[in-house]
Order: sequence, then structure tokens, then C-alpha cells
Amino acid sequence: MKRHLLLATAIISTAIAAPAFSQERGGVLNFARYDGSNLIDPIYADRNPDIWMVGSLFDTLLRPSADGNSVVAGLAEDHSVSDDGKTVSLTLRDGVTFADGTPLTGEDVVFSLDRAREPDQSPWSGLLGSIESVSAEGNAITINLNNPDPTILSMLATFTTGIVSKAVFDAAEGATDQEKSAAIFASGGPGVGSGPFYLCGFEQGTSMKFCANENYWRDGADGKPLPYLEGVNFQIIPDDATRILKLQSGEVDVAEFIPFSRVPELDADPAINMNLFPSTRIIYSPINTRETRADGSPNPLADVRVRQAVNYATNKDALIGLVLQGAGKPMTSPLMAAATPLSTNPGPLYGYDMEKAQALIAEAGLEQGTEITFTTLAGSADDSTIFAALQQMWAPLGINLVVEQVDGPTRGAKNRSGEFDIHTYGWVNDVNDPGQVVGWLGYTPTANAVGTGWDNAEFNALYEASQTEIDPEKRAQQYADMQAIYAEAAPLLFMYETPFAVAVSASVDGYVQTPLGNNIFEEATVSR
Amino acid sequence: MATLQYILKRLFLMIPTFFLVMIIIFVLVRFLPGDPAIAIAGDRASDADLEAIRERLGLNEPMLVQFWLFVTNTIQGDLGSSILMRAPVTEVIFNRLPTTAFLTLYAVGLSLLIAGPLAFVAALNRGRWPDVLIRTVFQVGLSMPVFYIGLILLTFLAAQLRWFPVGGYGDTFGARLYHLFLPSVAVALYTSAIIMRNLRSAIIEVLDAEYVQFARAKGLPNRLILGRHVLRNALISTVTLLGLSIGNLMSGTLVTETVFAVPGVGRLMLEAIFARDYPLIQGLTLTFAVLVSVVFLLTDLFQSTLDPRMRLT
Amino acid sequence: MSDISLSESEATKPQKTRLQIALRKPGFLIGVAIIGFSSLLAIAPGLFAPYDPNFIDYNAVRQPPSWAHPFGTDMLGRDSLSRVISAYTVNMQMALLATIFALIIGVTVGALVGYYRGVADMIFGRFVDAIITFPFLVLVIAVVAVLGPGLINMYIAITMVGWVYYARLMRAEVIAQMGNDYSAAGVVMGYSDRRIIFRHLLPNAITPVIVYWMTDMALAILLGSSLGYLGLGAQPPQAEWGVLIAEGRNFITTAWWLSLMPGVAIVLTGLGFSLMGDGLADLLRPRG
Repeated sequence: MKRHLLLATAIISTAIAAPAFSQERGGVLNFARYDGSNLIDPIYADRNPDIWMVGSLFDTLLRPSADGNSVVAGLAEDHSVSDDGKTVSLTLRDGVTFADGTPLTGEDVVFSLDRAREPDQSPWSGLLGSIESVSAEGNAITINLNNPDPTILSMLATFTTGIVSKAVFDAAEGATDQEKSAAIFASGGPGVGSGPFYLCGFEQGTSMKFCANENYWRDGADGKPLPYLEGVNFQIIPDDATRILKLQSGEVDVAEFIPFSRVPELDADPAINMNLFPSTRIIYSPINTRETRADGSPNPLADVRVRQAVNYATNKDALIGLVLQGAGKPMTSPLMAAATPLSTNPGPLYGYDMEKAQALIAEAGLEQGTEITFTTLAGSADDSTIFAALQQMWAPLGINLVVEQVDGPTRGAKNRSGEFDIHTYGWVNDVNDPGQVVGWLGYTPTANAVGTGWDNAEFNALYEASQTEIDPEKRAQQYADMQAIYAEAAPLLFMYETPFAVAVSASVDGYVQTPLGNNIFEEATVSR
Repeated sequence: MATLQYILKRLFLMIPTFFLVMIIIFVLVRFLPGDPAIAIAGDRASDADLEAIRERLGLNEPMLVQFWLFVTNTIQGDLGSSILMRAPVTEVIFNRLPTTAFLTLYAVGLSLLIAGPLAFVAALNRGRWPDVLIRTVFQVGLSMPVFYIGLILLTFLAAQLRWFPVGGYGDTFGARLYHLFLPSVAVALYTSAIIMRNLRSAIIEVLDAEYVQFARAKGLPNRLILGRHVLRNALISTVTLLGLSIGNLMSGTLVTETVFAVPGVGRLMLEAIFARDYPLIQGLTLTFAVLVSVVFLLTDLFQSTLDPRMRLT
Repeated sequence: MSDISLSESEATKPQKTRLQIALRKPGFLIGVAIIGFSSLLAIAPGLFAPYDPNFIDYNAVRQPPSWAHPFGTDMLGRDSLSRVISAYTVNMQMALLATIFALIIGVTVGALVGYYRGVADMIFGRFVDAIITFPFLVLVIAVVAVLGPGLINMYIAITMVGWVYYARLMRAEVIAQMGNDYSAAGVVMGYSDRRIIFRHLLPNAITPVIVYWMTDMALAILLGSSLGYLGLGAQPPQAEWGVLIAEGRNFITTAWWLSLMPGVAIVLTGLGFSLMGDGLADLLRPRG
């Protein structure tokens, strides 16, 4: 409640004070992170702690709109797509520079996009697979496509197309692009990017510093360039409880990834604003759908009725209460968070219905006392809670759920090899488009439909068609069809969506974490 | 001269030890499920990406070739490049090691300061209330998991009373003493308890020994007996114990450093394991083995100087 | 000084009186009582636990202590008292099974190499050094990760490393004892190796080992708890003190009872082993 009130107050006070508005400026924000960055580079960022920081150091040609459903001008002041959908034209903003003041030119754009779509170096190149060539003439940028690509504009507003300085890369030491990137990152400094900040300090696994880019092109509310802050100091504190104590003792201003069990308590603290930022994060559990398990024994979960039954028998609201203290909602689309473009919203997905579940189990003829293994992440309190709850919820189905706790890399290996029955998993969109998440969860060639081994020819064909469909209505229909097929087949245990829980000191304003997880500091202020 | 010879011999004997350590850790990490390629590229990477990464890291070479490279490179002082940190392993370790060493020595210092005098008090009052009280208090400290007691210390002494900072490690010597106080206390709770126990029984053992009883009966003052026999015996047993538990102490920092957000090698090791960072795990293990071996050697030298029965052989 | 007349009768007779002395000590008795009661809880937790420790009640989540739930309830509405009690089974088992095989192997190997020395000692020495210089937790974590999480694998992992500490301690004690007059006398008097080792060296050298064992049992509970905290020990929903503390530590200021009660259980059990260890030390202390 408090946070909404504060927001309302902020809006009112802004409106009243508008003419003689003096913008809070200066100061350094201290930020406690759950995990550290390794290499913040538009193409080598592969883990969330890297990806979510790219936008602070590197600007993109376009930017996501405030509602996240379209794009607005970024480094390019305007953009257009040809009628055949195969050419994108953009005009680079006049006078933009990198953080060290050197001009950002079309050459840098061509270099950055070529680098990002090179399959041999970028793990994200697949997202830019439709691009045939990129060229620049003065401020005019032209992107030619092999085929129409409905996601191309979103992609130009995504971290991996962040613009880097060609000159800095040319001058950097190293035999390969990756070595150069690592060398540039290790030395820090303002030359390589044009984002609101530049890297000015880094200690692997310990701390990191961002300093304000004084040449940033966007203006704040006071007509002077953003960002308002002088910089941001990051400290890595993996222990949840310690991170919160750090905030409570006033040693940091922001603590991210607050366990949901702590949210009510922090919400009650007047010195802290407990933010629950809307996200595209979904928590689900892939179910092995193969006819036999990895050890050759028959797989009871190969029967779609059993998979549907466990979905019906799972009381999502109870789970949300237990794990998230109510701060979440059941998944409504089987393939994506509700906030993702093109998600259908048919209401509760597999609403709790024990009778239906038991009927399905009887129909499938599942033997009483069938043992199913639930693989969880070792040391995760949430996973242990989920397991304990599911064990009790599924007992009436005659399922004997047993746990297997493993660490991250082991779970990843099991997902790949199919040596699991059901395991916990989660996802946050990296791109503001459903193509990526649907490809991951359902399209067999990507990763065996998130390791489940689910292979549906109709679904795969729909997905392939949707990748080149630029008619928005047709594409929306394809996505609606895919979601219907997927919900019916239930290759996942559909669970819930969670927000990003970030606790922020009352002295801080304007810090945002986007639904994609990006940390946005450019309009943040801190009053000391 | 004999001592020098002994040292040389011990150093020579460390070679097979380290070789064994290298074999064990090399085999162990490669048996761990999951591989560094997944840790690097994430769960979403394609099989082709993973294959390319394995190729780049040399993980597709035959095991024996990989091991040969590990051994020969190590001899040349090259521990390889950390996958997680994207930097040479030696550099990563040398950046982090001083913090852990500082924390460990600090904790040992604190422990001696606390446990030494109290062990004497307890031993001299054996069976009476000061003894019972001291032992109970230490036992409580010893039985508290670090991830629990650490959080209690942080919650009350740091976050609420604000006497100490929550985590971090400071830049100057003084700042370090201040920043690392709570983590040291957490470690010292364990160390001081075992030192106290050990010291107490060592003192009692001497006091009960017939030659001491005899000395007492002859009317030698207690102070003299304590100084001559007890102190020496106590010192030997404490140094032996500390030397023996140096490994335990240092691997105990693994959890302590995580709870207190101290960037030392303990936390680094945990991260390395969870990232399947083979070179870093190997490098850290080897560094650890070298450190512990050296401490053992020093312990034995010290012991032999004080106790002629412990011949240097 | 040279009291070498170690006749059989004298070596055994004072034992009884020492036992009597030990039994008269309140510390030892309290220790035995704590461990005895803990063992009882471990063997028959059902007799003492008021509820099913794994029963989830969504409507009674994190309730403070009350008459119905003396230790309150946890984040799944499970009765904390019942969970703390049911954890005795696992934690007491840890104390015993994680150490007993290490003790047996360690003492045997340590005594033999300490007595015979020579080449066997050399080879053994390298092997021991390799394991002892290895980061303990890392070895345990890695072995558990390879074998798979779970209690049995955890015991195997801890034993693989733990025996070395006993062996090293035993070897050092045996060597020290051999310097003593009575073993020299034993050799002079032509006793067999077996007699010297088992009759004279072992009883005299084993005291510190037994005392260490008591500490080690308490430490095994702690180590098992740490592994439980990391998710590598006891598997849910089985309650285990380390896991219970880990679950409760997020609520130290709001639901302190969740972590305090298992904490008290660990401390009490540790205290029990320690008091027993001290008592045994008195009981077994060699006469000079």
C-alpha cells in the first residue's frame, strides 16, 4: 500500500513544483547485488548480472517504450520499415558521442551490429539471423534483411545491439574480439560506450563502479543531461540475509533480490521502500515427456493425462502464499509471462481441481505409489518449500514424490541429457518479444522444448512460420494457437509469475528494474 | 645442520604429496556432473556452442593430455586461466589470498587471547563452577553453525547497534581490523573452543603427572611448576593443534566469507565449484595444499625445538 | 621415576576406582544423561513429537509459540517442536556414522605406522599429507556432488577424509608413548609387538583420540548441518537441525523461534558429547 501512496505523492509534488523544479543531482548510489558481473559487453553478456547492466554502459539505436509494447527513438532519432518488411532505415541522432566525447558515427553502428550478428562470436547472433547487411552513409543507417522479421525493431532496442566504439576495439590488445572486449572491460574508462554511465572501477566478484557519462545525450527534468547521479557503487553480497542487513544498517541504498519471505517485514519499515517491480519472470518446472526415462524404465509422465493431472492437483494460490507471501500470480499463458507481447490471457491455467486430477489419473491408469523424482536446486529455500508442498498436494493422486537436490551446473546437465522427471526452473525474457521464450519452451530444435523432449509438429511449424510473419494479426493468431496447443499438452508444471523484489532506501528515488530485469539508474536520485 | 637437512628432506617429500593432490583434484572435478561450458554459456546455449567452448578450453583433449598440461604448466608457475574470472588463476588467487590469511590469523590471535588465560583458570579450578561455566560457554560457541552465529552477530552488533560494519574488508590495516572483527569472532568461536579444551586437558595432564605432584610435594611454588612444566607442555599441544587444524580453519572460511561478504579465497572456492571452473578449483586446491604443508612443517620444527622426544626424522 | 613394574593386576585394578570417580562427577553424568536422552529421542522420535513433523498446514504459517505449538510453526505451518525432535534421528545418526568408521580405520592405521615406521610410514605419510592438505569441505562437497546428495554419500565422503585426522593423531601419540620408559621396558623385556601395541601403547595413546572423537561427533553434526544448509546433506522434507536453522535464519528478527530451537538442540548435543569426552578423558587417562 505504502509504495503506491508514495508514488502518488511523488506525482503530485512533481506537478505542483513543476515551474521552479529543482532537480536533485549528485551523489553516489550504493547498490548491493546478489551476484557480480563478469564481462559487460553487448554480445558477451550471457548471465543476467551481465545482461542487466549492459544498458547502463551501452546505448541502443532504439529504446523500449514506457509500457514495453513498442519502441521509441534512442541513438537513432527516427526509424522506418519498408513495405516489404525487408529494409529498416534509421537516422542517427546528431552530435551523440561516446562517454569520452569522441563522436559516435555510422561506422560504429555497422561495426557493432556486424559484431553482434557474427555467429562465431556472439551467443545471441541467432536473434539477429534475419539481417543480411548493415550499411551507413553519414547519419543514415540501412539494415537489409533476408526475410521480413517481426522482431527486428525490438531487437534494435535490446542489449545485444548496444553500440560500441570501433576505434576502441581496433586499438585494444588481443587476438580475438573476445580478448579485446575483455581487455577493454578490464581497463575500464569512458571510451567504449555511449550509455548514461561508464565503468570506472571493477574488482572481480567483489565490487564495481559506474561513473556518470557527462556527455550523455538525454536530458533530465531540469533540462540538463542525465544521469542525475555522479555514479553507482556496486557490492556483491550473495547471502540474502546479509544483503538486507547491509541496507538496514544504511551501508547501501539498494538491495536487490529480496527473498519474498522478507517482503512484508521490509514493507513495514518506514526507512525502506519495498519495490515489487513487474517482471517477465516465470517459475515453472519442465516435465520429461519422453516415453522412457534415461535409465530405460517406462516414464509415467509420458502420458499427457498424468501431466495434466499434476497440473490440476497443484494449488498455485497456496504455493504463491507459501513461497511468495502472496506477491505473485499464477501463470495465465503457458508459454510466457502475461506482460509479454502476444500472450493470450484465458484466465487461470489449470486452476486447482483435485477431482479432475484424480479422474485423469484413474483414466491414465497410474499405479498407486508411483515414484516420481523432483529435482531441485540445492540450498534454495524456495525449491525446498515447493517440493514439500507438492509432495503433499500430489499424494492424493497416488504419486510418491521424492526429492533430488543438485547444484546449478548439474541441473543444467540433467536438463540437457533428459535424466530427470521434473525439475524446477525459471525464465526472464531478454527480448521484448515472445519469440525467444516460445522458442526456448516449445520449439523442439532449440533445446528439446526446454529439455522435456516434447516434439509437436504442428507447434514447430507454427513457430517457424511466426518467425517471418510481419502481419501483426496473423502473427498474433499463430501465437494464440501455439499457446493453446502447449497448454493442452502440458510439458511443464505451470506455476507462477513473480515480480522483482528490490528494497530501496527512502532517500532514493527513480531507480527502476524493467520487466526484462535491466537495472536503470539514469533517472535515479539520492538525497543525503 | 641437522635441521637444515630435515627441512630439505621434508620439502622433497612434499613433491609426491602435491602430485597426489593434483591427481585427486584433477580426477574429482572431471567427475563432477555438469561442465564449465554450461556454466559459461548458460543453460540456454546450443549444443554447438557448448562444443565450441569445450574445444576452446581444451576439454576435448584426452584426459592424460589434459593432466600432462596441468602438471607441466603448474611446474612453470602457470595455473591456467580462470573460466569464471577471465583472468590468470595465479592473479585471481593472489588478489584474494591476503584477505583470507588476514582473517585466519586474526581469528587465531583472538582465540589465543581469549582461550589461553581462561584455559588456565578452568584447569586450576577443575570441576568447580568457574571450570564448568567456562567450558559451557565455549561449548555453546563451538556448537553454533557459522551461518547462524554470523547472522546473529551481524543483526545485533552491526545492523542494530551499528558498532561494526556489515561485511566488506577495508583498505588500511586498522580498517581491516575493524571490518573483519565480526567474521574473526565467528571463526574464533570455533577455534578458541578447541584451543581451550585442548589447553585445559594438557594443563591438567601435567598437573596430574607424578613428577609435578612430586615437585609440589617437595614444596616448589605453583608458579614455578606452571612456568617450567605446564607452559611448555601447553604450548606444544596448542601449536600442534593449531597446525593440525589450519586446513580446517581455512576451509571453514568458505561459509564465513559468504555470510560476511568478505572477498577471500574461501568464497572464491565455493563460486569456482558452482561454476565448474576447473582451472580455478585446481589452482585454489594446490595453493591450499602448499600453504597447509608449509604450516605443518613449521609446526613440526617448532615442536621439535620444544620437545626433544619429537625427533626430526 | 622408573616405575616399570607394570603387572597385569595393577594395570586393571585402578580402572574401577577411576570409573567410580568419574561417575561421581556431575559433568560426566550430565553429559551421559544428555546423550542418553538424545539417543532415546533419536530412536523413538514418535513417542515425543506431538504432531507429524512433515504435515503442512497452509493456514497456520509461522505462528509464534503457543500451547498448541510450543516452538511455533514454520513457513509451511509444520509444528517446529515435532520437526526439531524428528531431526534427532538424523543428527544423532550423523554424529555416529560420520565418525565411527573414521575412528576405527584411523586408529588402526595410525597405531601400526606409528609403531613400525619405516617405508610403510613414508608411503602412508605422503598419502595422509595429500588428504590432510586438501581443503576438507571442498573434498566433501565434491565427493557428495559426484556421488549424489544424501546422507549415506555424505557419511562416505566425511569418512574418506576424516580417518586421516584420527590416524595422524594416533601415530603421533604412539610415537610419543614409545619414547616413554615403559614401552622401552616392554621391548627390553621381549614382549611381542602385538602385546606392546595393544596392551601398552594403545590404551595409553588412545585417550586424546577418544576425547577428539567426542569433539568430532559434535563437529560431524555441525558439518552435516553446513552441508544441509548447502542442500547436500539431509533431503527434504526430512528435518535436520542445519536445514531448520537455514530455513529460520531469514526470520531472526521476526520469527526467532524457528532458528533458536534447532540451535539449542545442536548446542545441547554438542555440550553432551563434550562433557562425556571430558569424563572419558579422566576415566582413561594413563597413569604416569
